[in-house]
Amino acid sequence: MDDLSWLQILTALAGRFAPVWIALVLTLAVSVWFRRRLGLYGRLFDSPIGLVGLVMLLFWVFTAIFADRVILFDPLSQIAQMKNKMPGTAIPTGIGHYLLGGDNLGRDVFSRMVMGARRVLIIAPAATAFAFMVGITLGLPAGYRGGRLDTVLSFIANLVLAFPVILLFYLLVTPEIRTTGLPIYLAGVLFLFPIVFLVLLWNSRFFMHRTRRAAYIGVTLVIGLWAWSGLALNADPLGVWSMDPNLLNVFVSVVFVNAPTVFRITRGLALDLATRDYVAAAQTRGEGPWYIMLWEILPNARGPLIVDFCLRIGYTTILLGTLGFFGLGVAPESPDWGSTINAGRKLLTIAPHPALVPAIALMSLVLALNLLADGLREESLRD
Amino acid sequence: MSDLLQTQSQTRSQETVTPILEIENLSISFFTRSREIPAVMDFSCTVMPGEAMGLVGESGCGKSTVALAVMRDLGKNGRIVGGRIRFKGRDITEMSERELRELRGSEIAMIYQEPMASLNPAMKIGAQLAEVPALHGGLSKADALARAREMVAAVKLPDPDRILDAYPHQLSGGQQQRIVIAMALMARPALLILDEPTTALDVTVEAGIVDLVRELAETQGTSMLFISHNLGLVMETCNRLCVMYSGEAVETGNVRRVFAGMRHPYTQALFRSIPLPGADKTARPLIAIPGNFPLPHERPPGCNFGPRCQYFQSGRCDAAEIPMHEVPGHDRHGTRCLRFEEIDWAAPPPAKETPPSPPPGEVVIRAENLKKYYESRGGGFGYGQRRIVKANEQIDFTAREGETLAIVGESGCGKSTLAKVLMGLETASEGSVILDNAAIERAPVEARGPGLVSKLQMVFQNPFDTLNPSMTVGAQIIRALEIFGVGTSDADRRERMLRLLDLVKLPRAFAERKPRQLSGGQKQRVGIARAFAGNARVVVADEPVSALDVSVQAAVTDLLMEIQRENRTTLLFISHDLSVVRYLSDRVLVMYLGHVVEIGTTDQVFQPPYHPYTEALLSAVPIADPKVEKTRIVLEGDIPSAVNPPPGCPFQTRCRWKAQVPGGLCETEVPPLRELAAGHRIKCHLPESQLATMQPVIRIAVE
Repeated sequence: MDDLSWLQILTALAGRFAPVWIALVLTLAVSVWFRRRLGLYGRLFDSPIGLVGLVMLLFWVFTAIFADRVILFDPLSQIAQMKNKMPGTAIPTGIGHYLLGGDNLGRDVFSRMVMGARRVLIIAPAATAFAFMVGITLGLPAGYRGGRLDTVLSFIANLVLAFPVILLFYLLVTPEIRTTGLPIYLAGVLFLFPIVFLVLLWNSRFFMHRTRRAAYIGVTLVIGLWAWSGLALNADPLGVWSMDPNLLNVFVSVVFVNAPTVFRITRGLALDLATRDYVAAAQTRGEGPWYIMLWEILPNARGPLIVDFCLRIGYTTILLGTLGFFGLGVAPESPDWGSTINAGRKLLTIAPHPALVPAIALMSLVLALNLLADGLREESLRD
Repeated sequence: MSDLLQTQSQTRSQETVTPILEIENLSISFFTRSREIPAVMDFSCTVMPGEAMGLVGESGCGKSTVALAVMRDLGKNGRIVGGRIRFKGRDITEMSERELRELRGSEIAMIYQEPMASLNPAMKIGAQLAEVPALHGGLSKADALARAREMVAAVKLPDPDRILDAYPHQLSGGQQQRIVIAMALMARPALLILDEPTTALDVTVEAGIVDLVRELAETQGTSMLFISHNLGLVMETCNRLCVMYSGEAVETGNVRRVFAGMRHPYTQALFRSIPLPGADKTARPLIAIPGNFPLPHERPPGCNFGPRCQYFQSGRCDAAEIPMHEVPGHDRHGTRCLRFEEIDWAAPPPAKETPPSPPPGEVVIRAENLKKYYESRGGGFGYGQRRIVKANEQIDFTAREGETLAIVGESGCGKSTLAKVLMGLETASEGSVILDNAAIERAPVEARGPGLVSKLQMVFQNPFDTLNPSMTVGAQIIRALEIFGVGTSDADRRERMLRLLDLVKLPRAFAERKPRQLSGGQKQRVGIARAFAGNARVVVADEPVSALDVSVQAAVTDLLMEIQRENRTTLLFISHDLSVVRYLSDRVLVMYLGHVVEIGTTDQVFQPPYHPYTEALLSAVPIADPKVEKTRIVLEGDIPSAVNPPPGCPFQTRCRWKAQVPGGLCETEVPPLRELAAGHRIKCHLPESQLATMQPVIRIAVE
């Protein structure tokens, strides 16, 4: 078999992504059709910048979903002859080509990049979502209630923010610290927040419907505590929920570092929205403080929070890349973008592609998120 | 169109002087990504030297857009698509940016609604004022400062040197607006544009600004374009007016002539919907304008006012665009109505059946010797000096079942604090509030329980803020029903919610809408429905209509009173608008600096003898009726701070009757609340003999 020209490589790449293109076109067609009924998401189609961001983000999301169909080779299998080969090189045994070349161990760069997207797109949004749960659950009372609670929480938030992030990560993965069980305790506390958040949400909404409240809170507690026991404590009796201890470390550190910033944003928004008449109306109606915070203030703070959520996923992606680069928290052979860049770094002058491909992927994902955030901000400020 | 040109050429030949401002067939559009939105269409008006032109209309009618077009400051999306604006004969629409910069600020000056938005908070007043002549007149710094000092004295601010050395935040709202006026006048402009200059101010302060503006127009000969939604204010400040509706001028002419004999149905409808002295809720109720203001891209064919007009004739009024017609026999009086010669303008409005309000019943709510003090600390870390803000000093009143008690006062008088204490958002410092024999003054709202909470409800001031923007209207009313424990099941509460929408005369389909899809008046109706969800005994309405347009105010006021009549609810109506208060309330309570200074039936309060503060308040309210004569009493200074109230009578610093009280009693002793007639009590030291000499402030001249 012959090596491929650049044009052939591009055609082959486009062909590999076929399931992604189909899903992308379907999603966009349905969205454009119903965009007048889709609220803020629908209005995104009026903003060119937001639309570009959305398309790029959806591309990566679908790539992650269909990764198994997109890849050509197992991302971990090595072919000795393919070490540092250029993009489009044919495999001697004649089973195909390495579309984007081989890395220093003779693995397929393309397949590794695609599988890496899956890892990044699972960890980054999940970690950001947890950070938001923590930040919102603490930020709302700090802003709405104020007083000593606000002083204490803000002080703690500033303390965390003042600590160098990388140093914190290094500490958390150091064996000495890990043996003390600190990451587990931290995970135990941080992972409780989503459960607390949901229980407060249902309780404030349904406290006068006894049965409905019991049902909602019951389901939340059962599922939540079950997942919590598995994810945080690694003690799930049924063995469904579990998390790799390395990953747990990274996850906890990312949540821990992001939560204070979310806390400050939420606190500021709550401080402003608490002066609105509809909040006063809820107070004169006799609503409890958590109802006012979660159902009157939070939905109206959603604009800036959604924008920050997008930006923060991008930030977390970079953070994960950085951590991978330092080899923190990931398995040695893992195809995640950060560690791949680090591995390719040493041979950059001989074969730049093993480092360049994941670097471009990382950049385009973060760019997509930033563009999307810009578009959302622009559209949410309208009307 | 030819008529219009003809009339204009006629007027031009009559006048030999060139007009200061001449706007001809001006059309302005705003361009959005999807379409062009016409904001002003075919607008013409002329302002002669020394003339004050009032531009009146409801929000969204395009009056501010006209003003901005004169400054050529329409922003990125706005564009003049037709017509001409001539300033002293020069066409503004064709000027270059450079020429415009020379014009703005020196020849044409503009004053906005929010004074603080026009002042640089980081610059001293003197430096800001001196900037103007230095920029436009090339004066030296010392000369400019001297001019600034002169001007500050001219706008009647006490102690000009101190003011020149102050920062904007150190002045009160009224003083700030005077500075803005002084700044606008520094360059001796030929035209002054005032865009709602007093809307953000209190009535007594407004009266002072209005006096100042009138005087300046006389002494300096400045022409003015005065934009306002308040017909009374325009009558007091302008000689000519132009009524706008939905982007068009519908009637123009001499203020007094138009007010005495209007020739456009919209102007007439506007007058019938505002409470003038003589309006009465049972005998001569207000007539709301039916329907809603058309959106700029949904304007009807022909006459824009057609769909809401009682004289509408299909086939004629909606056939073609209607030009401006000259009303014969009047001086430059024009109307955009086809049928103005056929309509009997003197005919009284169609009579409306209103059942008389039932006599008030038992006492429902009683406040005795109520006090609310706030503590504040000066320093940053809580070590500062302890200060006490006496928001409510001494409040006594009772309100009966089915009665409307109006609580009147300017900002800072403590009326909102009183509402908060009643609602349980704050607890009283002293005294008692008794609702149906239960003391509630110490119970915060969380401790009240659904029964008590639903009995005492509130309607808020700002319709754009009282509804949660992210919940549907129906869900918000259902939530109120749930929390008040009304209804047995979800289906039952849904049914009750729909009935509440019927009660406030909103279509049932609105249940599924979000608040942003509703107009201001509709939102306020939802707010009312929510307040009455739990069969409230007492409803506190905090300025419920003051943020609404004039034509909508009447409808919402009527609705509120109708529901009140049916449910025999006690209404505590907080307001600063004495016209509305006189129209709808049974009894009135006047507050000043945390004190009740006068309480009595509406007739007693609005007739002499008055408390001196009530007298000033009554005189300050602008009335849009040329038949009414008013005694002008302009209060000096501002309301003292509640942190540092004056000793003795709270009103003594501004009272014009103080000299009539022997022995300087006013400065040392708080007067007792004494009874003048049955139920009429005032807090004043003035002897009976002096009170008896008081003249009525408002007189209706006999025709």
